[in-house]
Amino acid sequence: MSAHNPVTLRDWLERNRWVWSALGVLTLWAVLSVTTGRFSLHSLSGVAVSASFLTVVALGQMLVVTTGRGNIDLSIASVLTLSAYASIIVTAGQDARLPLALAAVLGIAAATGAVNALLVVVFRIPAIIATLATGYVLATGTVIANRFAAGFTVSPLLKLVAAGRVGGFPVILLVALVAVAAMGLLLQRSVYGRQLSAVGQNERAAALAGIRTGRIVASAFLASSCCAALTGMLLGAYVGGAFLEMGIPYLLQSLGAVVLGGSLIFGGASTALGTLFGALLLVLIVTTMQIAGLPAGTQDIVQGFVVIAVLALAGGRAVRRRKASPPPAAPAVAGS
Amino acid sequence: MMAALRAAQEAAATTAAASAPMVRRAEAPDAVSPPAGGPDRPPVARLDGICKAFGPTRANDGVDLVVEAGEVLGLVGGNGAGKSTLMRILCGVTRADAGRITLSGFDIDLALYDTALAQAGGIRIVHQELSLCDNLSVAENFFLEAPEAARARPGWRRAYRVRARAALDEVFPGHGIGVDTAVGHLQIGQRQMVEIARAVAAPRVRLIILDEPTSSLGQERSQQLRAFIKARAARGLSFIFISHKLQEVVDIAHRVLVLRNGRPAWSGPAAEASVAALVNAMGGPTEGAMRRRRAGRPALPADAPERVRLSGPITAPLGRDVVLRAGEVVGLAGLEGSGQRDLLHRLFGRPGAGVSRAGAASFVSGDRQNEGVFPLWSVLGNIALGRLQNRAPLGLVSEREERVAARGAAERLKLDPARFDSPILDLSGGNQQKALVARALVGDAGTVLFDDPTRGVDVAAKEDFYALVGQIVRGKAGRPGRVVVWHSTEDIEFLECDRVLVFSGGRIVRELAGPEITEQAIVDASFAGAGAVERDGTAGQRGLGDLLVDLAPFASLAAVFALMASVNPMTVSLFGLELLLGPAIALVLVALAQMFVVGGSEIDLGVGAFAGLVNVVSATLLVETPWLGILALLAGVAAYGLIGATIQLRRIPAIVVTLGASFIWVGLGYTLQPTPGGASPEWLTAAFGWSLFGVPATLLLIAVAGLVALAVDRSPLGVVLRGFGNNAAAMTLGGWSPLRYAVIRYLVASLFAVAAGLALTAINTASDINAGGPFTLISVAAVVMGGCALIGGMVSPLGVVAGALTLALVGALLGALDVSTDYNAAVQGCLLLAMLVLRALADRRGAHR
Repeated sequence: MSAHNPVTLRDWLERNRWVWSALGVLTLWAVLSVTTGRFSLHSLSGVAVSASFLTVVALGQMLVVTTGRGNIDLSIASVLTLSAYASIIVTAGQDARLPLALAAVLGIAAATGAVNALLVVVFRIPAIIATLATGYVLATGTVIANRFAAGFTVSPLLKLVAAGRVGGFPVILLVALVAVAAMGLLLQRSVYGRQLSAVGQNERAAALAGIRTGRIVASAFLASSCCAALTGMLLGAYVGGAFLEMGIPYLLQSLGAVVLGGSLIFGGASTALGTLFGALLLVLIVTTMQIAGLPAGTQDIVQGFVVIAVLALAGGRAVRRRKASPPPAAPAVAGS
Repeated sequence: MMAALRAAQEAAATTAAASAPMVRRAEAPDAVSPPAGGPDRPPVARLDGICKAFGPTRANDGVDLVVEAGEVLGLVGGNGAGKSTLMRILCGVTRADAGRITLSGFDIDLALYDTALAQAGGIRIVHQELSLCDNLSVAENFFLEAPEAARARPGWRRAYRVRARAALDEVFPGHGIGVDTAVGHLQIGQRQMVEIARAVAAPRVRLIILDEPTSSLGQERSQQLRAFIKARAARGLSFIFISHKLQEVVDIAHRVLVLRNGRPAWSGPAAEASVAALVNAMGGPTEGAMRRRRAGRPALPADAPERVRLSGPITAPLGRDVVLRAGEVVGLAGLEGSGQRDLLHRLFGRPGAGVSRAGAASFVSGDRQNEGVFPLWSVLGNIALGRLQNRAPLGLVSEREERVAARGAAERLKLDPARFDSPILDLSGGNQQKALVARALVGDAGTVLFDDPTRGVDVAAKEDFYALVGQIVRGKAGRPGRVVVWHSTEDIEFLECDRVLVFSGGRIVRELAGPEITEQAIVDASFAGAGAVERDGTAGQRGLGDLLVDLAPFASLAAVFALMASVNPMTVSLFGLELLLGPAIALVLVALAQMFVVGGSEIDLGVGAFAGLVNVVSATLLVETPWLGILALLAGVAAYGLIGATIQLRRIPAIVVTLGASFIWVGLGYTLQPTPGGASPEWLTAAFGWSLFGVPATLLLIAVAGLVALAVDRSPLGVVLRGFGNNAAAMTLGGWSPLRYAVIRYLVASLFAVAAGLALTAINTASDINAGGPFTLISVAAVVMGGCALIGGMVSPLGVVAGALTLALVGALLGALDVSTDYNAAVQGCLLLAMLVLRALADRRGAHR
């Protein structure tokens, strides 16, 4: 933003879409504090820890969404679960084996991301189908891994990162904040961030502007798998084990955090800060429902509604933008 | 608003004076005009003072137009003169900002005027961009134009076959087009013929707008068309004939209207018009100015560095290499599609055999919407992207440096830096194009490639653009200049070039330099080398390969079945079949539900969960309180319709909405029944428990499900749904409501999903909300295996049934081979991926062919 241009509030809001989710977090927190009276700082830190795990997964999902064309990574649930298993099986509770576990987890991520990227970039298979299918293949992997995972002992160092506190401040929250800051810098200030946004807005124009679009899209899928895998590793250490369904909630929630945070679902514009607040808001909503004693089924229903409602509202914004723009003077010739 | 309205009215008043002769003639049509229009008949269509602005661009500014019955009106004007906008307004696609529309004497409220009303008024348009659905047959496309005669019963197509054949015979005798051929298998010229015949055959049609109808027709077809227009006009049908081929316009039209910069520039009887006068009125660039500009550029220094070298087959007709040097402007001319664009793209991408380039290249396309602008960014962001080429991905960008660099480029191009922070789409087409050129200038590319850069840009902006070409090629102190390689669809622009390479049939057949460059020389050279200019061909026959692809789902089902039979001979008995295939009925139904959604090029990630919810509802509520159960099921179907409406109205991705919906279905299921259980209603168990001549019900019901889906797909409704899946824009233009058919599509899908849930209950005699989940992926796999394309519009119900059965058998086969069921998901996932990869490879080969 340039200093010499007067900036209206509307423009500013348009450019800083994370504000809405931040406002949502503040409002919900205020309401909870007032109505329940026992919603302390301590329970807020519990929310922050849950949101931290979600944030890291959602940052990866956000990169994939930014590449546009409706790209979404549906394989993250399985990647997360399988990584949790792999980490627990390989470390077997010893810090010394942690590098090996890290290598195994990153190997899973690299293989999945590479296959996803290959299917999407080279074979032009819609990302949803490709990632849905790789996710299924990996789900079989988790079922098999489940047989091997005999004991649930966690390496102390990993436990410290996932569940430890430094002066009452959760370490994992620190990890998430660093990840958000790094991602924000990457998106806003780096060459890669510009190129990613360009690909998401108009892939063909990006290619004609000299951007290697295939590499950009592939990198997003790789990053998404890595984020999910690392989260799985940490989450496994946090809960002290792995179980078959542990990744499933993160599928919708990661998308929800991205959308709530103000990133455009059609790609091209994303905000890391927004994704952080989106994750916080979503976890707060779930926590609220738990405090209110709503059954698990109702919680699912509410989450589904929230995602659809936010999308329906945000979708309107995209439509307005498109209507404000002049139509092509000469529409594209089919097949060109 | 009021001010704008007043301004528009004033504009209308002034132009009304300018076009007074036209109005007079409209009042006394018997003076010049056509036989059929009686003096007391109101004009078929009349537009008064039409204004339309897109952002800062005034596309139409006080345009008047009158078409009498039986009259042929020629409409001409350069690119961006406002013809397309005016025709879109007349057809109800675009809403005018101000003005009056009168159809057959009836005043139409501007706010209410839409495509349906235009069609009711008897107006049809034949576009430059074809508006046929190419997955449908010729006859089915005729149905989309005039659905009134269709009844939902077998054989309904017959009437349309007859109509299509009659219309084609009337306009293009000896056309050789089969009315059952899919339009996708026709050549471009044949599609154009179908489109024209379809508009002509529309019931109660009174005015046909032909937008560049002869651009892809051969000489003979073009003559047939013009003869037909004359004959039909004599019988009272009106035409608006838009063409760049001015001679054709002068020959065929009764009157001509010339547009220039959105305003009427001239209007009068065709008898008073000549090609030269029309060109003058259109305000095209004059040859003299262009030549002067070229002469004003400094001469090419002898030591100018070589930028591009062309050799090999592409230059074979010349017999020597072509070398392009820094500081040159080189045009690529020829008939459209003769290889100019291919060369541009080869020059931009990895230069290969016969094409070599030194230094970087940048590409500036005239198709700004699709190939140029990044709509979310400001002007500055769009320009600055040019600096990122070949930079390290993790390098940092600085807005301040970008601003400085962009300012330099903008100054050379006379682009106002004060607009750097505006969204790029707020700029006029000409200024957007300048920003894109600035993008090429801020980088270090030595070769600048222009792909029809002045497309859709108004005349003044074009002049600006031509002037800055000199700026682009000129070197700065110590740096050699750039070479501009310029492909244009307007031959006159080549007068700006130092050299012109004329293409024909993918090769350079002529090189023109300096004073040799004239429009006539370019046209002569373009046609000289082209033996096969006649682009009018016969239908591509469907080969054996296509047939094999169609049969693939059934072949793979047979293969898996044979494998099963060899492992376990019991399979072949009726009992074995029931045991193996019976449980597959739910999968078949879910796959058919998914098929209808995929037919609209969307994917339903909640269909499995929805079937699971129906399973729970029918095993609990439907047993305990039947009326409540039925109500719940109906509510579920309605919710599906609502999902379709939400996706369509808010234009949001179906995947995310249906993924969200799947959580809602599962949540509802858990709430109704936290743990698996329940029972099947007796009547439901009975419905799946009968047999006919020893054949169990489940097998028969699978066949019934497939046939029902086939019937829906073949019915008029199915054709419309497939049409939307293939070419939604054309369907909307044709007056079909996208919202209504989105809702119907999801309702049809939900009915199949409900049937699937009921089948689950009847077969398992219990319910589990998680039972449906896995069906989602398998349904997509079955749809893909069944031969449906994920891009929509290609649907094959029987193939989907075969695909679903194959997948069900694969599970059983794994069981028979003692493979743990844990591997089921992996095998199914791999099968789906293998199928998609094979399809992708086949498509690629098909595209090469």
